Amino acid sequence: MTSAFTPSVFYRDPLAAMRWLEAAFGFETSLLVTDQAGHVGHAQMTYAGGVVDIGGEWSSPELLGPASLKSPASLGGVGTQFVRVRLASGLDAHCERARAAGARITQEPQDQFYGDRTYRALDPEGHVWNFSEAVAEVSVAQMERASGLKFAIPPKEPSDA
Amino acid sequence: MPDAPPISPLLFYRDPKAALDFLERAFGFETRLVVETEAGGVMHSESAFEGHVVMVVGPPSHSAASPLDLGGRVTGHVHVQLREGIDALCERARAAGARIGREPEDQPYGDRVFTCLDPEGQSWSFGQKVEAVPPAEQARRSGAARGSAP
Repeated sequence: MTSAFTPSVFYRDPLAAMRWLEAAFGFETSLLVTDQAGHVGHAQMTYAGGVVDIGGEWSSPELLGPASLKSPASLGGVGTQFVRVRLASGLDAHCERARAAGARITQEPQDQFYGDRTYRALDPEGHVWNFSEAVAEVSVAQMERASGLKFAIPPKEPSDA
Repeated sequence: MPDAPPISPLLFYRDPKAALDFLERAFGFETRLVVETEAGGVMHSESAFEGHVVMVVGPPSHSAASPLDLGGRVTGHVHVQLREGIDALCERARAAGARIGREPEDQPYGDRVFTCLDPEGQSWSFGQKVEAVPPAEQARRSGAARGSAP
């Protein structure tokens, strides 16, 4: 039912964040469990067949030891995770919708050497979202030439691509 | 990468190669793509498990950080859903140096779950379905089990 890896993102105001993610990115709320005080206990959003969990800030020495789950808004805008979202098509229109909803576009849509077109946006609490769509098929040799990077472990060649 | 999952996490590490190695040893993930920078960092990678991927990148700069840089605070968490073998995986992770938070335990919604931190403090949970629990029963059980809200 769910994918094997589900990223979670934490917000000071998760309900406001969910409304924003719906408006800006087109995500849909698929699960929302609140406690008696109205706080989000567990929330899940889906988009393009993928799933992301949404939560409020919290810490629990018993469950998390020294870890504490924070919004970037509480850490001076710094984050330990980005979330990647793969679109089938419509990347530029997606970016314009996000911008109109108040997303800070930190990288405008642009074609990358590895054959994807990508853009990067910050949500109101500072989480970073990377959107991509495939626009070209590029071989490893082409990618290395174009980027100067070393593919220490290259992707499996096109048999499965 | 047409088989890339629609939504996937990208985690920052001070030492991404050590992190990729840990994810293999501790969790049984497979490193299937590593793109290095000239300075020896990792700008793109894929650590795969049952067809799904997490991307490991570092060392971080600008607005990105390892939990080590933030006193253990994280802005993300990754949940991994298993088909089987959750207790054995927890022991494998512990032996590899994962710090186990919640030991494997059955949850009101019918999954068995454990949580852990990796060596740089990125936060993980693993779950496995052990019982089909209808939504109404989940609500009843979790209501009965509810303590203070997080």
